Amino acid sequence: MKGVWAVFYRELMFYRRRGVRTVLSSVIYPALFLLAFGYGIGKGARVSGMSYITFLIPGLITMSSMNQAYGISVEVNVSRYYFKIFEEYLLAPIGRWEIMAGEVLYGMGKGLLPVLFLLGYSAFAGIGLRITPLFLLCLFLHLLAFALLGFIIAMAVESHADQAALSSFVMVPMIFLSDTFYPIDKMPLLARYLGYFSPLTYSTKLIRGTLLPGSHLFSFKYLLFMVGIILALLAVAVVLVERAEA
Amino acid sequence: MEIEVQNLRKRFGEVEALRGISFGVFPGEVFAFLGPNGAGKTTTIKILTGLIREFQGEILYRGEPFSPRILSFKRVIGVVPQHNNVDRDLTVEENLKVHCYLHGLWGKKQRERIREVLELTGLQGHLRRKADHLSGGMKRRLIIGRALLHEPQILFLDEPTVGLDPAVRRSMWDLIRGINVLKGCTVFLTTHYIEEADMLAQRVVILDAGRVVAQGRPQELKEALGRYTLEIYHRDRIEEEFFQSREEALERMRSLDVPAKVREVNLEDVFLSLTGRRIRV
Repeated sequence: MKGVWAVFYRELMFYRRRGVRTVLSSVIYPALFLLAFGYGIGKGARVSGMSYITFLIPGLITMSSMNQAYGISVEVNVSRYYFKIFEEYLLAPIGRWEIMAGEVLYGMGKGLLPVLFLLGYSAFAGIGLRITPLFLLCLFLHLLAFALLGFIIAMAVESHADQAALSSFVMVPMIFLSDTFYPIDKMPLLARYLGYFSPLTYSTKLIRGTLLPGSHLFSFKYLLFMVGIILALLAVAVVLVERAEA
Repeated sequence: MEIEVQNLRKRFGEVEALRGISFGVFPGEVFAFLGPNGAGKTTTIKILTGLIREFQGEILYRGEPFSPRILSFKRVIGVVPQHNNVDRDLTVEENLKVHCYLHGLWGKKQRERIREVLELTGLQGHLRRKADHLSGGMKRRLIIGRALLHEPQILFLDEPTVGLDPAVRRSMWDLIRGINVLKGCTVFLTTHYIEEADMLAQRVVILDAGRVVAQGRPQELKEALGRYTLEIYHRDRIEEEFFQSREEALERMRSLDVPAKVREVNLEDVFLSLTGRRIRV
């Protein structure tokens, strides 16, 4: 476990150095979406039998926390190919999985910040959300899945240009086709099918379902699906980190 | 033998980086890999330290077969890479702490080790400084100090003084000698600086295009050519002739009608005589 702590400590110190800048960047994104979609477009609108703001907040929670957790892909990639700090980890007498665990833990921690901001905002704005153990479990699975995905991308992609392209072609469409801003059922057929392939669709349904009182969106089927996705991502991440060379 | 390498081969696609090299490193010695850029020096170090996992050939560490997947060998080695991979956003202390945690050094032991390497590397008083604000030489010292935190028995240094000015380079040589003598650490270094290999190494392997072209004590390698080199400056090339005595070389120089210079034989002459090329071309 020493490797997990070492990697996590390094990332924590790095995060601390960037201080206000990093905290603001993780909060400003959901705040802008809240402003644009929540108030600009959706004021007074109703979706799936609830106010659009109420529908939107869980979607913003999943989207912004996904962005932050997945965002470790850039940091790990830069530390691997540009600063070569990753080499220090590879040289240490620690299991490769410990590197992965330390980075993923950091990604999950980063992903919590916008969640706290949005939950705080919801409480302030009087939007009734339920914080239950089931919600925390779903949030944990959601953060774990996307931090793992970020780590996998960092291991698999060898240049920042490829990484940017991947974000444009995969992450951005995922945000818009995954139940975050509007129900996936209202989408055209092709978009709906694309959405069904996105893990964000299921984690959004789970988080919205557990956060909103009286919601029927939660399903154990989705929960199992997320667990399956995580196990698959874990297997890929382990293989890639085991293969990593400097 | 500290390290024994037999028929080590490594290929990157079409490029054959190592073409079956063999050598051995004795405990407590300073051992140098000398060769031009692209000779295979860094590839060898990366294989020996487990950073490259796929290779052909046999490696023994203290008689035990080496595998990059065995963690125990990583506890006895320290590595100073060619590039300055200090964490620039972190302080000197935080950089050292990360390494301590990676090697399971906590609490009092961690504080003691950090204090000791700071003294050894002359970085006391810089503990709270951001690594990015250190000079190039200080960054190299920090990386060397970091590699020594867990008290390795073998220290790998990949081009330790590349890019440093001559004065800083000399201070680095003193540091490396100190580590070897005071700490009893076996030092394996790669360099393309002739004088660095000459000054520091007890034994040298001269590498060119993935092949070992010579190995032995620097003095023996040089004496095989002679003691003095006469450099003859023709219009289109520099010719070298070797002599056992200075008088013979001077006599030959006086007989020439082109400019010439007598100097002591160095390892570059050895490389040139074996490959027909200079190391720093």
